[in-house]
Amino acid sequence: MRISGNSTSHLRVVLILISIAGFIAFLTYIPDIVKLVIISILLAYILDPFANFLESRGMSRPTATVLIFIAIVFAVILAYMSVLPLFAAQISGLQAGFSPDRAGFVISRFEDFLMPYLSFLGIKELNLMGRTQGAMAGAGDWVLNHVLDAASLVTSMILIPFIVFFLLKDGREFKRAFVSLVPNRYFEFTLYLFHKLNAQVGNYLRGQLIDATIVGTMAVFGLWVIGVKYFFLIGIFAGLANLIPYFGPIAGAVLALLVSILQTGGLDKVLYVILAFTIIKLLDDAIIQPVVVARSVHMHPLTVLLAVLIGGKLFGILGMLLTVPLVGFLKVVVHESILNYRRYRTA
Amino acid sequence: MNKIWENIFKLRQKAVDEIDAILLKIPVFQDLNKRELKKIKRILHQREYSSNEIIFKEGDIGLGMYIILAGEVQIVCGPDNHVLAELCRGDFFGELSLLDDAPRSAAALAKLPSVTLCFFKPELIDLISRDPQLGCKILFRLAWVIGERLKSTNEQLKKISCLREQDPLSA
Repeated sequence: MRISGNSTSHLRVVLILISIAGFIAFLTYIPDIVKLVIISILLAYILDPFANFLESRGMSRPTATVLIFIAIVFAVILAYMSVLPLFAAQISGLQAGFSPDRAGFVISRFEDFLMPYLSFLGIKELNLMGRTQGAMAGAGDWVLNHVLDAASLVTSMILIPFIVFFLLKDGREFKRAFVSLVPNRYFEFTLYLFHKLNAQVGNYLRGQLIDATIVGTMAVFGLWVIGVKYFFLIGIFAGLANLIPYFGPIAGAVLALLVSILQTGGLDKVLYVILAFTIIKLLDDAIIQPVVVARSVHMHPLTVLLAVLIGGKLFGILGMLLTVPLVGFLKVVVHESILNYRRYRTA
Repeated sequence: MNKIWENIFKLRQKAVDEIDAILLKIPVFQDLNKRELKKIKRILHQREYSSNEIIFKEGDIGLGMYIILAGEVQIVCGPDNHVLAELCRGDFFGELSLLDDAPRSAAALAKLPSVTLCFFKPELIDLISRDPQLGCKILFRLAWVIGERLKSTNEQLKKISCLREQDPLSA
């Protein structure tokens, strides 16, 4: 039987697609490793300009990489000494729950307000206080179990720096090795695409990180001024949640509102919290994002929602936070690939 | 056994020395010392082409220059593949695209099985940001090469205009 050239190329495309699908299916079996590698790639992208800067000052790439890691170790030690005690205290505070008297008063009033409207559903008791206390303790437990879980923390603390170190030091060699596998026909285009993607994706990720850091810092400061309990924890959450468009900023504000209501037993600080988050959002939209995020990746709210749900299902809460930047990253990759392929071919 | 290892090492060393020798003959890299040459070699891509294989097409975005390590390459243009030049080991082509994004004005075709070293603009830009001194050296030599080409073009134009003045019909 004779196979024509066209059939061979179709067969090749089908084989490539099957291989890609098989590879993705394989990755879903090792979500923990995928998570570590994704975090490492994102970190390597963020640290790359620092390594380039040190190289431009006459250092070799390995020396620059080692120096960056020494700086990171110092930063971690500094954070451990200054920020971690505060972080740990706030988590244990969150676990212990709120002042039961005042919070109980507010919640029972709210429950009394709701009950007449819910009686037609046959609900006799809501037990909102118990549920809220349970949820807060659960959140504290989650942070302890997932973020500060000793085994996974140690594994991540060893593996992530290890992967980041080699990605940072030998990234160019990896790229060269990859390009050497590309057939001659697509070789120049692949290099062209790599160059374009590198700039776009790097700018996007660094922009997102800087944006999240600034928003988080502003939220910590704002909540501290207002006097909201667990301001540090909520601020960090607000900064990280800001990575998720549309829902993220609201999630941070809602958490702060909840804590302020439970803390004071009334609506004393609600207005200030709303005002603080509105100012932060306005500053973010008007100044920070246009300056810091060089090219924002516009995503449809439905895309964001699906990304958050899939990320949550696959990798938990961390997945919910990381999936949106990851989808943004993929969107930049696909968009730039198509755009540059057209530009390259029609030049 | 040691003899075998020594010979393997010598063969490898010989190949490396040959690449060094070819690179140092290219005007763009002539001013570089050993350390700088090593840095350049790290960003070069070695590619192998079979005979009649297209290296790049006319109209593609120019991305960089090619240095021929082995084989023969034809520079062709137009639909009938009119041959503009035939290049062999140690020759280089496409250096203008290190400076501009203009489409390739001609295509390159491997006439025989060939091996090339490719030096690309994105990597040159990256190198300039990481090692400005080395980047300057290369850009300076690149400007010199282009200056030489301009001088040679001027000479040819002068000759043509002289011919026209002497005998307008034959020109």
